[in-house]
Amino acid sequence: MDDAQKIGGIDKRWVYILVAVGALIPILMPMGLPVKTTPAVEQLFDRMESFEPGQVVMVSFDYGPSSAPELDPMADAVLRHCFVKGLRVVVISLFPLGGDNQAKQALYKVAEEFPVVEGEDYVYLGYKDGGLAVLRRMAEDISIVFPKDTRGVEYSEIPLLQDVWNYSDIEISVSLSTGIIGEWWAILVNAQFGQPVGVGATAVSAPKYYAYLKAGQMVGLMGGMKGGAEYEVLLGNAYPELKSRSNVAIKGMDVQSIVHLIIIAFILMGNLVYLFSRSERKRAGGRLGSQ
Amino acid sequence: MALSSFAGIWLAAFLTLAIYSFLYKDNPVYRLAESIFVGVSLGYEIGLVFYRTIWPNLVERLLADPGPNWYLAIGGILGIMLYCRYIPKVSFLGRWALAVYIGYFVGVELMQRLHGDVLPQVRDTMLPLSSLSSVTFENLLIIVGVLSVLIYFYFSKPHTGILKPVSRIGVYFIMICFGASFGYTIMARISLLIGRLTFLVEGWVKPMIALISGSG
Repeated sequence: MDDAQKIGGIDKRWVYILVAVGALIPILMPMGLPVKTTPAVEQLFDRMESFEPGQVVMVSFDYGPSSAPELDPMADAVLRHCFVKGLRVVVISLFPLGGDNQAKQALYKVAEEFPVVEGEDYVYLGYKDGGLAVLRRMAEDISIVFPKDTRGVEYSEIPLLQDVWNYSDIEISVSLSTGIIGEWWAILVNAQFGQPVGVGATAVSAPKYYAYLKAGQMVGLMGGMKGGAEYEVLLGNAYPELKSRSNVAIKGMDVQSIVHLIIIAFILMGNLVYLFSRSERKRAGGRLGSQ
Repeated sequence: MALSSFAGIWLAAFLTLAIYSFLYKDNPVYRLAESIFVGVSLGYEIGLVFYRTIWPNLVERLLADPGPNWYLAIGGILGIMLYCRYIPKVSFLGRWALAVYIGYFVGVELMQRLHGDVLPQVRDTMLPLSSLSSVTFENLLIIVGVLSVLIYFYFSKPHTGILKPVSRIGVYFIMICFGASFGYTIMARISLLIGRLTFLVEGWVKPMIALISGSG
C-alpha cells in the first residue's frame, strides 16, 4: 500500500526527465524504425503522381512555427514531389502567425534543389488576411486577391500565371494546415467549388478530418508527423534520389515510438497503482472503494 | 558562421530553454520569454496584415484607381469604425460595424456549413448494407455510431426504455473518439518536443562544438 502510494505520488518532473531522455536518445542515435503507409496518404500521393508535367498545383501554407515540426516535413515532401515531376506550383499562405515565413523558407530551400525558375515553374503570392473570404474570392479571380507576387511583380506579368485565374485552372490544392483552415478548404473549396483538395494537418486536427476524407471532400490526408513520414516513404520509394533529403519525419517517428512507449508505461503504471489503492481501501473497509 | 546567425541561434536556444524551465517551476525567465513571444507575435501580425493585405488590396487600389474600386472604401470605413469602441462618444459606431460583420459571417457560414458540412456528411452516412462483407460491417459500424451518438445528444425525451441502451452505445463511440483524439494530441505535442530538441542538438549544440573544436 505504501509503495503504491509512493509510486502514485511520484514528482511529475521525473516523468518530464524520462520523456526528454527518451526523445534525445533517438535524435542522437537514429534507429530507423519502419514506417507503414496508410490509404489516406497513399491516395494523396497517387493523385499527385498522376499529374503530367506542366500542370498546376496550389500549395497553401496555413501554419506557423508552432506547428512546423509536424508540417514542415510534409511541405518539403510535397514541394519536392511537385518539382521532381515538373509540376508548376502556386504557393500562398493564409496563416497570420508565421505562415509567410514557413512558406518562404520551405519553397526557396526546396526550389534550390531543382532546376526551376521563379515565376515560370513556381511562384509565391504571399500571405493574405481574411481566410474564408480569400478562399471564396479565389474561385472567381485569384489576381483580385493576390494582385502581385512577393517580389512585387504584377499577377498579369508572371509567366506561370498566364493561364491560371481560378480553381478551375488548378489540378489540386494542398493545404498544410493548423487549426480549422484545412476544414475550410474541404467545406468551401471542395464542396462548393469542386476543387480537389489534399490536406496535411496537425495531429490534433487529423481525427476530425477523417470524416471529410471518408466523404470524399479530401483527396487524401496526412495526419501529423506520421502522415509526413508516410509521404516521405512513398516519395523515397518512387524517387530514390530524394530518399536522403526527405527523411525528417521518418527520423522523428523513432522518437515518437520511444516516447509513446514511455507514456504507455506510465498510463499502465498509473492504472495499476489506482487498482491496488482501491483494493487496499476496500480491504480496509473504507467507503471510497465501494463507490 | 555570420554574427547575426550566431546571435540568432543563441537567442532561440535561450528562449527555448527559458520556456522549458517552466517544467521545473514558474520563474521570471519563463515569464520574460512568454512576454517576448506574445509581444513579437502581435507586432508581427499587425505589420503583416498591414503590408500584405490592407496596403496592396485596399490603399494602393484606392489611390491608383478609385473609380472602379470605390466599393473597397466601404470595407475600409467599416474596419475603422470597429476601433470607435475605444472612444466613448462614438462607441456605437463600433457596434454597427460589428453587426455588419456578424450578419455577413452568419449568412456565409450558414450556407457553407449546410452545403459543405451537413449535406455531404449526411449523404456519406447513407451507406449500403446489402451484402455480406467487411465493407458492410464498416458501414454498419458508421451507421450505428452516428445514430447512437445522435440519440445520446437528444435531450427532448428522458433516456429511458429503448433510448437508454442506445444512448449508452453512443457513449462508447464518443469515448473511442476521445481516445483517438487524445492519442493524436499526444503525437502532436511530442512532435513539438522533437522539433525543439532537434534544434537544440542539431542547430545549437553540434555547430557550437564544431566551432569550438575548430572544424566549423
